[in-house]
Amino acid sequence: MTPALATIFTSVDFWTFVGVVAGIFTIFALGLQVQFGFTGLLNFGHVAFMAVAAYTMAILIVKVGWPMWASALAAIGMAMAFGVLIGLPTVRLRADFLAIATIAFGEIIRLIALNESDLTGGPQGTINLRGAGTAASFNAEWLSFQNTVRDWLEKGFGDVSRDQTMLVIIWTVVVLLILLLQFLVHSPWGRVLRSIREDEDASSALGKNVFAYKLQALALGAALGAVAGLFFAFQFSFFSPQDFDPLTTFFAWIIVILGGTGRNWAVPVGAIIFGVIFAGTRFADIPFFDTADQAFLRLILIGLILIGLMAFRPQGLLGKREEMVLG
Amino acid sequence: MGSDGREDEKILDVRTVVKHFGGVAALDEATLDVRRSSITALIGPNGAGKTTLFHVVTGFYRPERGEIRFEGERVDGKPPHAIAKRGLVRTFQVTKALSRMSVLENMMLAAPNQPGEHLWRLVLTPRAVRRREREVEEKAWALLELVQLDKLGRDYAGTLSGGQRKLLEFARALMSDPAMVMLDEPMAGVNPALGLQLLERMQQLRAERRLTFLLIEHDMEVVMTVSERVIVMNEGRVIADGTPDEVRGDPRVIDAYLGVHAGEERAAVAEATEGTR
Repeated sequence: MTPALATIFTSVDFWTFVGVVAGIFTIFALGLQVQFGFTGLLNFGHVAFMAVAAYTMAILIVKVGWPMWASALAAIGMAMAFGVLIGLPTVRLRADFLAIATIAFGEIIRLIALNESDLTGGPQGTINLRGAGTAASFNAEWLSFQNTVRDWLEKGFGDVSRDQTMLVIIWTVVVLLILLLQFLVHSPWGRVLRSIREDEDASSALGKNVFAYKLQALALGAALGAVAGLFFAFQFSFFSPQDFDPLTTFFAWIIVILGGTGRNWAVPVGAIIFGVIFAGTRFADIPFFDTADQAFLRLILIGLILIGLMAFRPQGLLGKREEMVLG
Repeated sequence: MGSDGREDEKILDVRTVVKHFGGVAALDEATLDVRRSSITALIGPNGAGKTTLFHVVTGFYRPERGEIRFEGERVDGKPPHAIAKRGLVRTFQVTKALSRMSVLENMMLAAPNQPGEHLWRLVLTPRAVRRREREVEEKAWALLELVQLDKLGRDYAGTLSGGQRKLLEFARALMSDPAMVMLDEPMAGVNPALGLQLLERMQQLRAERRLTFLLIEHDMEVVMTVSERVIVMNEGRVIADGTPDEVRGDPRVIDAYLGVHAGEERAAVAEATEGTR
């Protein structure tokens, strides 16, 4: 380990950043857990919900002048509406067709964001929302909220950085969301979702309206993706269409599979490991490779870890092995 | 059940139902009815259209022509869940146990009128949800005891054997408070002693709760002992319909099974099908 690397891995700021990223991805992947882990829906366009929410909020704040909280709520509502919209024609499809349809949906959203410059700021991203030449910003209200939380935290803990404040906010939300999902999954409602995952014909033969439940699962997953999208927007203050490429969806898949499919508490575990690899390899100074190559090396590393996991622990870190062998 | 109580009342009425797969008519104007509070067997050689008929009646396939009435109301073209909610519940030939859910959860899922299956009721009426869960769980354990699966209640349904899965499906169907149960080969793989108990239970439910059973079964002994009426299908049509004795002697039935017309062979078959499997 080079001295520089050692410094990074012992730095509080670095780990705080990893924690923030892991928190955002936890919320994002929880949406997929609802859709895939509990309902069995193969959604390969999850990133679209993140994108729709982030853009809806930014546009409402910058262009329409709505207050942040109203914009955020509208953004979540918009993502849920998109969830239902994509679900209506596709949810009746066989699982593999649904996967294809959703991946296309994700790309459509990204390409709209890329090309409808008047609406979204185009390839330059949200900084361009007011048109070229004027830097647009949507997070003034968020920053002031964050400062309020920070002041409050500093009363108890002394010096607290901006990222540390974000860390506290995000992980509070994560814990609340997981508790909510635990309640839902073990409720009679969640039981119906799980029965659809196991065998939707059996479920409908017992009088459950499978179609309606799938739409609800899509909408709830979309709402979670949306919340992640809002935090993503707040954390990075600015975003562009390339933040929402299909790879982001697959990060959520990696997290769900890494942690354990069908288990809520497995998601933060998967997300933290993913966050460490993802952020950690960004700073690791690997000999014989230049910076550009290292970016790809990181993806190769994530892929290798996933292959290893599938080979040796297919149920994920917190999954139950016996569930993998049930016929 | 809102009926006038006549014993010969038709609970299920299937009229000239047609269903093709490619060029093959799986159901070719199939017409039959099932009387309320009866145990009726549906038999026929492989490919006769029995399972297809089940799929069409329970909404899994849409018929191309014909009418299906359940409790006097049209159900053809209705989705499976809507038909199940009306009290017509089925099991599957290839069992559909919900593997990664417990045996108990499989049962509890089937219970009707659980307000907790709606998100808003979960939040607004948590007490009603919990009360119903307790009722449902109690009933689930009682039914599991009936099929001798109570000791496996907490296990994953995916760990059950083929026969146990048949039993679970049977119990699960009863769990949904049905008016009529359609069983697709319910005895396949079930231990014979327990199978007999189930048949007795079916007769009891029929007598006490006026439940109606329609079962596809290949075990002739079961068919002949338990059912008061046997419907025989071949090549998508109903070719015979009557008491077990009437059907057993029907030359068309014997032809359907063997595809021969020779009189001696027919007699030999009649003898062979009598009381054997």
